[in-house]
Amino acid sequence: MFNHLSVASAFSFKYGTTQPHDLVARAAQFGAPALAITDRDSLAGVIRFVQAAKDFGIAPIVGVNLALDNSRVTLLAQSDGGWRSLCRLMSVLRPDRNPPTLHLEKIKTLSEYTSNLILLHGPDSQIANLITKHRPDQALHEFNKYRPYFADSVIECVSHLAPGDGPRSTGHAGRMLGFARDHDLPAVITNGVRMLDAADGPVADILDAARKLVPLHKRHVERANNEAYLKDNQQMRDLADEISRAAGERSGRTLLRATQRIAERCILSPQEFGLGGIELPEAEVVGVNNYQEMRALLRSRCESGLNWRYSSSDDLAKARARLDDELATVATLGYESYFLTVADVTDMARGAGIRVAARGSGAGSLICHLLGISGVDPIRYGLLMERFCSPLRRALPDIDIDVESARRLEIYDLVFKKYQHRTATVAMLETYRARHAIRDTGAALGMSQTEIDLIAKSLPHIRARNISKALESLPELRSLNINTPLAAMAIKLAERLDGLPRNIAMHPCAVVLSNNTLPDRAPMLINASGYSMVEFDKDDVEAIGLLKLDILGVRMQSAIAYALDEIERTEERSVDIESVPLDDADTFKLIQSTRTIGLFQIESPGQRELVGKLQPDCFEDLIIDISLFRPGPVKSDMITPFLNARHGFKSPQLIHPDLHGVLAQTQGVVVFHEQVIQIISIMAEISYAEADEKRRALGDFSKQQEICDWFYERASRYPKTVVDEIWQVLRAFASFGFCKAHAAAFALPTYQSAWLKTHHPAAFIAGLLTHDPGMYPKRLILDEARQMNIAALPVDVNKSDTTYRVEENGIRMALSDVSGISEAEAINIVRAQPYLDLTDFVRRAGASLPVTEKLVMVGAFDSLHNINRRDLLLHLADINRSPAAALPGAQMTFGFKAPDLKPSGLPDLNSIEKVQTEIETLGMEVSAHRLHFYGHFLNSIGAVKSSDLLKQRSGSSILVAGVRVALQQPPVRSGKRVIFLSLDDGFGCSDATFFGDTHEEFAQTLFSSKLLLVRGVVRRTGPKGVSIRATGAWDLGAAYESFLLKKSNLA
Amino acid sequence: MFENDGLPVNTDGATPIEFTYRGKRFRIHNVLNRWCEAGGWWNRISDGIYRPDDNARAIWRVEAAPIGSVTTFELERDEATGKWLIRIV
Repeated sequence: MFNHLSVASAFSFKYGTTQPHDLVARAAQFGAPALAITDRDSLAGVIRFVQAAKDFGIAPIVGVNLALDNSRVTLLAQSDGGWRSLCRLMSVLRPDRNPPTLHLEKIKTLSEYTSNLILLHGPDSQIANLITKHRPDQALHEFNKYRPYFADSVIECVSHLAPGDGPRSTGHAGRMLGFARDHDLPAVITNGVRMLDAADGPVADILDAARKLVPLHKRHVERANNEAYLKDNQQMRDLADEISRAAGERSGRTLLRATQRIAERCILSPQEFGLGGIELPEAEVVGVNNYQEMRALLRSRCESGLNWRYSSSDDLAKARARLDDELATVATLGYESYFLTVADVTDMARGAGIRVAARGSGAGSLICHLLGISGVDPIRYGLLMERFCSPLRRALPDIDIDVESARRLEIYDLVFKKYQHRTATVAMLETYRARHAIRDTGAALGMSQTEIDLIAKSLPHIRARNISKALESLPELRSLNINTPLAAMAIKLAERLDGLPRNIAMHPCAVVLSNNTLPDRAPMLINASGYSMVEFDKDDVEAIGLLKLDILGVRMQSAIAYALDEIERTEERSVDIESVPLDDADTFKLIQSTRTIGLFQIESPGQRELVGKLQPDCFEDLIIDISLFRPGPVKSDMITPFLNARHGFKSPQLIHPDLHGVLAQTQGVVVFHEQVIQIISIMAEISYAEADEKRRALGDFSKQQEICDWFYERASRYPKTVVDEIWQVLRAFASFGFCKAHAAAFALPTYQSAWLKTHHPAAFIAGLLTHDPGMYPKRLILDEARQMNIAALPVDVNKSDTTYRVEENGIRMALSDVSGISEAEAINIVRAQPYLDLTDFVRRAGASLPVTEKLVMVGAFDSLHNINRRDLLLHLADINRSPAAALPGAQMTFGFKAPDLKPSGLPDLNSIEKVQTEIETLGMEVSAHRLHFYGHFLNSIGAVKSSDLLKQRSGSSILVAGVRVALQQPPVRSGKRVIFLSLDDGFGCSDATFFGDTHEEFAQTLFSSKLLLVRGVVRRTGPKGVSIRATGAWDLGAAYESFLLKKSNLA
Repeated sequence: MFENDGLPVNTDGATPIEFTYRGKRFRIHNVLNRWCEAGGWWNRISDGIYRPDDNARAIWRVEAAPIGSVTTFELERDEATGKWLIRIV
């Protein structure tokens, strides 16, 4: 049986063509006892390789292919400790993102690690080169040079049946073997694998071209032929014979036996990688000496939390009982360190004044609430610990925390400072998707850059293998000229790159927190942001039992923090948003009015429609609203029965008195995972933890029958009709249900943002404009401010800050949104405020001329000068022409007489020009809405203002117009695409839905025009709910022109 | 036996063992060397047809003889078409 010792997977970025899993599957098919992975410069594929090997029952061998001076060699980890050494070695070799390189001096200092590794001198080694040159004496010298520092050194014979007598030819492989024999050195045979099948050659060529950034040419591709694939046992035996005969031996038996021996020395066990284990931070990290003390610490911290969170003795008693249960579970699992560590991180963040909120199922744990990790009371809102963490599931539960996006890296810094080598960021794999695949393939095939750009930019963000399908099904892509032979070929080949990793980057939010052994378990590198990073992705780190904490930067948290600061600055009082009661009537009135733009989670067109129908009036309603607004419930129409029961059209189906407590909260509709757990627990008389296992199994179609039989038996004391009905509910909704804890955690910032918008709208909108958290462009947010009677105050060199500031009667535009302004420029302008006039500004502000010109054009100097902006621009030119302007900095202030300032008689900008300048310079209009200028036209054709939509009769056909603010194509299970369009017309938002039949004619317009006129049919969906089923869309400017030509027959 | 406008060659699996050259039958006595070459599959894509094996070749350098006399030939099989070519070395 042959064991491949040199195998590059797709984790040899832009070199290998095959996923580790597929290589393992093929080796298993051959009946190979072991398989190696030896990627170039990287160990990133190792964990998934080892997992696949475990699944297929193959012994994993792990190594890496590295540069040694100007050549390349392969290092294999020996059994018992070699993996640890390899991790350490790779971490040391990569102080930065450059590919690691070995040389003799470095090897000498790293012999602690290399002595656990076996060195293979293969076809790219210096030895191979010397053998080509017929210099065996020098080759031996080279061999002996490195020999003392490795566990073993081996000659690797590779024949790809390459032409000539260089490396990878049979002749060369034979001479390598002969050299080994002459000097009694160990020799092995490998196939230097980089492909799964011979037919993968062109993929390898495209990767070569993409890596080297060159078009395909004989010179640039590395393979001589198709032979570098994973050959089967017989093929490798034949090859061994051929090489051995070339070396004068009778057969390849000796060579194969030596290969087998090396393989056996390098077999690793899955345990060595930590698969299935858990490695939490040690007790010392949280400030105690041992595990017992850690338990006591967790308990005492939770107990003090009890008095902070609960006051009534009734609540306290309930909480205490639940705490005892949860602590018992945690003790069984030994997860004390986990909770204490996460609490430590949130404490550090709060200590630095950074807002933190939990997300995900962690909010279901009382411990998380008591430790201050989560702000939602799990007892009051019926959240379950078992959904999050259970003794029956030995997987580490996931706690995610949301922090202010603008200050996220500060938390990283705190965590790294405290946890040092026990912590690292996590890698994220960037794989080939449609756009990159078409770019790299197109460039390799020599397509023109414009043609490549055109196709790549028009493609939606889809998998590479779906390109052809997308091109067929999306009408707006039809105009692309993709039928040229070259483009067709590029598309066909691009699909073959599907899912291949291109690169690793830093995961946007995950860090691992572990103990002293982390550097032994995972190779590290320093990423572009300067943090150390494990080379494994989030699934890998979970597989090897590392605690992963997601620290997500949430812009809304920054916006809220900003709003709170503005309130404190302008009103000289501070608001403790965390203790605002969750039942404020005015806040819910705002939500019910559907004026939710800018609010967390509920601002999208679909959500605005849903809150209009649902009319939330308490915090629980927000939890339900967030849970319902997902593709599953929307499509399975859970919403209609819920709304019917809620509005009293039908009575809720509570099925059986035992379940009333569970089902009443959602009008008899099962919305939450927690409800499924409770129903199973009640009817089958089992614990929540066991019920959660059953719930998870329900999602797996193949296990449903088994669960069904079990459930009917366990629930047999209920009438058959009740069990039938409940089983139908469980089966139908288990897979759509949502984790209530997660929704509750989200509902908190939703409520907080709504509260701020209700009571401190100017400060809140200033926060939105500064941190831009939502899906809408800033111009829509600004329009929202106008409609709440908050003025948008123009940029003013003396009053504007780098961020949006609240003033007495409005919000002052920020300097940072002037296009082309640098951060330093904006800061300098603010620092030198106030300015006497334009001349003073030019002298002291240090702004560039183009930026100064833009400031003039948007009226930033209007409050300082009484002449119009065109004259001011001429004046600026005079200032710059005056000789003193050439003098730098401070010298200019002395003896510099400003040029005269006088009106030239030029007319000022008219209001249309002003708005245009504002849009060009600030990206949004400040002085008037863009649609303002179409007012006459829209009135004549009878277009409906968005604020008047609710007055329209259901079923009537209308016209609406506006600026496109959102265009969404959510994935729909049927595969039929629906396009959602939101228009802003200065009076609010109107939302139109385009179904498939309209795409052919109008999709192109929707994607290409910014100002749109839409025809559609009104549908009333509730007291505040209205939607438009669109039947047509036109570019507003074009429509206006044809109107002017009296040719319009739209209305 | 390949009976097309290439060379008629008898093979054992992929390996040639006999061929007919200028009307005479030759038997291969010894394979001196063999190798494979990929072609530039991208060179002819302007017609939009994907030929991953375009111009790929497997070459045997052999010693062969009709009866008695041994001559060295190269037998070349075009991998895309399966056609055989020959030249004396």
